[in-house]
Amino acid sequence: MAIPRIPSPTSASVDAYDMRGLAASLREVRYRYAGAQDWALDGVSLDIRNGEYVCIVGANGSGKSTLGRLIAGLSAPDSGVITLDGHMVFDEAGAHADQYRRARHDIGAVFQNPEDQIVTTVTGDDVAFGPENLGMSRTRISEQVAYALDAVGMTGHLADDPTTMSGGQQQRIAIAGIIAMNPRMVVLDEPTAMLDQDARMGVLTILDKLHRQGTTIVHITHHADEASRGQRVITMSAGRIVSDSHLTAEPAGADTDAYDRPSQDDFRHLLQASGMPVTWLRAGSSDEYAPSDSSPASSGVSVTAAAPATNGVSDTADSPDAEEVSAARGPALAINVDHVSFTPQGAAFPSVEQLTFSVRSGETVALMGANGAGKTSVVKLLSALARPDSGNITVAGIPVATDHRYTAGAETPHGTGSAGRQTDRRARAARWIGHLPGSAVKPLSRRQRIELRHRLGLVMQHPERQLFAHTVAEDVAYGPRNLGLSEQEVTQRVDEALELLHISELRDRSPFGLSGGQQRLVAIAGVIACHPDVLLLDEPTASLDEMASARIRDLLADLHHRGVTVLLVTHNIDEARALADRVLVLEPPKHAGQQTSIRHLHGTRNPEAGSMSTAPDASSTERTTSEPADATDDAADIHAGDGSGRSAIAMLDARVKTVAFLALMFSAFAISSPYQLAVGAVLTAGIVAAARIRPSLLLARIHMFLFLFVFAGALNIFFVRTGTPLAHIGAVPITDDGVYTAIIYACRFTLVIILGAVYVETTTPTAMTDAFESLLSPLKRCGIHVQEIALVLSLALRFLPTLRVEIMAVTYAQAARGGSIESGSPAQRCRAMCAIIMPVFAASLRHADNLSLALDARSYEEGIRRTHWHDMHLHFRDGVFCVACAVYLAALVLAAVLL
Amino acid sequence: MSIFSHTSIPARTIIKDGQSSGNATNTGAGDTTISPKDAHSTGVGDSGRWSTRRIAMYACFVALSMALSFVEFPLIPGVPWLKYDPSGIVALVAGFAYGPAAALIVSILGFVPHLFISPWGTLMAWLVAVGLSVPAALIYRRMHTRSGAVLGLVVGALVALVLAIVGNLIITPMYAHMTVAQVAALIVPALLPFNLAKYAINCVVTFLIYKPVSDLLNRSAR
Repeated sequence: MAIPRIPSPTSASVDAYDMRGLAASLREVRYRYAGAQDWALDGVSLDIRNGEYVCIVGANGSGKSTLGRLIAGLSAPDSGVITLDGHMVFDEAGAHADQYRRARHDIGAVFQNPEDQIVTTVTGDDVAFGPENLGMSRTRISEQVAYALDAVGMTGHLADDPTTMSGGQQQRIAIAGIIAMNPRMVVLDEPTAMLDQDARMGVLTILDKLHRQGTTIVHITHHADEASRGQRVITMSAGRIVSDSHLTAEPAGADTDAYDRPSQDDFRHLLQASGMPVTWLRAGSSDEYAPSDSSPASSGVSVTAAAPATNGVSDTADSPDAEEVSAARGPALAINVDHVSFTPQGAAFPSVEQLTFSVRSGETVALMGANGAGKTSVVKLLSALARPDSGNITVAGIPVATDHRYTAGAETPHGTGSAGRQTDRRARAARWIGHLPGSAVKPLSRRQRIELRHRLGLVMQHPERQLFAHTVAEDVAYGPRNLGLSEQEVTQRVDEALELLHISELRDRSPFGLSGGQQRLVAIAGVIACHPDVLLLDEPTASLDEMASARIRDLLADLHHRGVTVLLVTHNIDEARALADRVLVLEPPKHAGQQTSIRHLHGTRNPEAGSMSTAPDASSTERTTSEPADATDDAADIHAGDGSGRSAIAMLDARVKTVAFLALMFSAFAISSPYQLAVGAVLTAGIVAAARIRPSLLLARIHMFLFLFVFAGALNIFFVRTGTPLAHIGAVPITDDGVYTAIIYACRFTLVIILGAVYVETTTPTAMTDAFESLLSPLKRCGIHVQEIALVLSLALRFLPTLRVEIMAVTYAQAARGGSIESGSPAQRCRAMCAIIMPVFAASLRHADNLSLALDARSYEEGIRRTHWHDMHLHFRDGVFCVACAVYLAALVLAAVLL
Repeated sequence: MSIFSHTSIPARTIIKDGQSSGNATNTGAGDTTISPKDAHSTGVGDSGRWSTRRIAMYACFVALSMALSFVEFPLIPGVPWLKYDPSGIVALVAGFAYGPAAALIVSILGFVPHLFISPWGTLMAWLVAVGLSVPAALIYRRMHTRSGAVLGLVVGALVALVLAIVGNLIITPMYAHMTVAQVAALIVPALLPFNLAKYAINCVVTFLIYKPVSDLLNRSAR
């Protein structure tokens, strides 16, 4: 069934050609990006038949993604002729918007980044977004959502929050969002690039199924094994199709990805075959012969279990095991990690468990392991950006974390070296002085932290995302300046770092105008310029082209000769072999799921960013993160418009609820007597009961504000001078009136916070924005785009946690270069602020670019007639609630007038 | 502060007003084959006043503003309750890049999560955020130069300062049992210096980053 390449590029012949049976047809299509010299697509002609499964492969920059966007109808070329699903969307006359519109309704698109395709925080609502844009009826949408979730095997997750799911699940939901729109063709641009092996197979299986059901599949990939699943493989190179072959045979020119993550068995095998000294770091508790690991007293036992199993191939003497480590080599150790466990905030299970390893001064050590094994956690722990639950960490002689329980408590044969005794003394002192409650691990002092910044260099994942300055030189100078060096020294450091990475010619360029690889080199130069003794790198060459990767490898070899200790996190065995003296392999802790280890890292307590408190949980998008079990329980019950299983408050019409709650909250500030307070308390208690919210959950939601009440109360005590003085603080009298108002004010503030928490707890973001849209719809007459603004709000609530993660990541990275907005002169603080805000803006734009494509793929357009899956009808209960609120407000007024 | 010197930046090329949606820029002087900015539009969802790109951009700006509004820290040592948050910067940058309507949308929507935590405080935050960003965006739209940006920021800061003090006089008595006179007594020792410092930071940071941000905005066209 080979389809002959149609040689005739003229539009006349295209018109003449029978378009029936063709899902897409391109003729002599050319495409060039703004400002680019080369054509991204240079005369591409291609026919895709209905029901075909086509894979498009090619190297980075070969034009395959651009081609995918053209086939999906998301972008128009510079010249050529394109017919999609029988619609002539582009010819010499240019783009035909109405034709594009019609064609696009039958074409779905799925992209690389799963997270950026999710438009809201409830799975069902997210899948319904496309059908709503197509104007389907409510019953039809319900059918489509159920069908689509079933097709991707996510039926049970209707009410779950997709933003807290694993990448694989997110990608399945993204595909469900497309399936729900009944596309005849689905174009997928590297949908598995960010997924692990299992998730990848899940996605590929769904594609096979879709194909069997008759959907045309266009799958852009760089995995040869994925491409071989299609019926036809098209290979792109430099904007041209270089081969177009049918079935079985693997494409000749297909790039095999250097960063392919082999499965665990292959990995083990490859490592063993590599001949490098390999140490497998097993968590103490994951070993069956470790009876207990939780109590510090038993750590002596788990040491045995945690002792690294040394690979038979390697020279045993060369790979220090736990016993040598802590016994003799104290001063020569650049990094020492001793029985460290770490649970990221919000995660149920530790991402690092009873980890013990060390790195000698001047060594280059590769840290490897599967996704979710805790490699990134280790990097954060070593750089004091996260504090372990237990265990000791020393980096360059600085005690990054000191666990008094371990060092001072159990007498283990391994914990007592000279270093151990030292920490022991320190720990005892710490116990007396008193350290932060809740953790037995003492973090480093402020001075030690600064010292650590001087000695330790940190290259986080995607370090290019922390670039901020006008020029490369200024960006590289940021770290050295924060070290307090003179301008002359700073310039010298910058020159030297740029030289080391062979990027001196980029000196005066804007970092934002560089290629991805160049940006990465600049970011690494910014770390090198601080002259670290110990350098941590978290996958520095991931997704880089060969040239930039080679520069980084050269640099690391160079630093190795200069005696710098390097700990390199990598997935690439060849890279480890080329650079590292030996390899440490982290085995994932028993319970580590990808979800817990990656998702919740953003919540990690960061002592440096102490004031960057995570937002109060009242923010709606956080709702389900800590309550996954509840959400799953409810999942079966919740259907649009069918409220069975939800509380009375949750079932209220969102518009009524919004207006009523705002009225209650605003009016609560009028409470000024005990009677009014009593009325308010009764109403609030009734609402909490009707909402069926557990008091413990409510307390968890509002406890952040308790200190505010105390403060507000205290303020009132000081400002009220009337009444009988009870006591004096300095010259300020404390009066009984003051105490009285303090109590009233604190209580009414509590009522407001409880009401707000109940509202947020019982209202999905979709319901909330639907209500806002409906309430503000009269403004449409004034020419205000209410529908679009409501969508902006809905998307913003969805992306709030995403950007919070970005802010945390950038703050970590800049803190590691010594930037702090909380200390220093105003100029220094401003500079530190810019160094955080600028990359965060860049991150916002990156997400916005992806999101806008995702919106297009879901057929959203300005001013379209959308339907709403959730029905907004006033019921009897809404009337009852309104009456209750009105009675309450009347009672407030009466209490004020009469009493 | 030399790190942010603007010396190499020619005036008048600063931010392209988003309202005119790009076609004005002629990137390829003399080279007719270079694609203009919006050449690849299909004319469906990616053009017009509320393109999907514009919606996505606003959404991410609003989300950023929300996220930053929770990053609070005290400015003046010893006065821990007057907290600064950097969210105002986002509204200013959005206003410079996309005009006063964007400033309004980011200012208002950015504080919506606070509406159900501190309703009156949110009204106050809206008032001040709009007062700062909308006048700045309006002036910058008329005077598309660096001095226009400075003037806009200064006027915006003054408007916001007046609104903040008036708003405090009305709203503070609801949160604390104080008379208007008692609040007024706090203007000079607390409100004035705090708000001035706050707007100074917002304006300085905005001035320093709006050029690179606008470069990024212009670069990331499809």
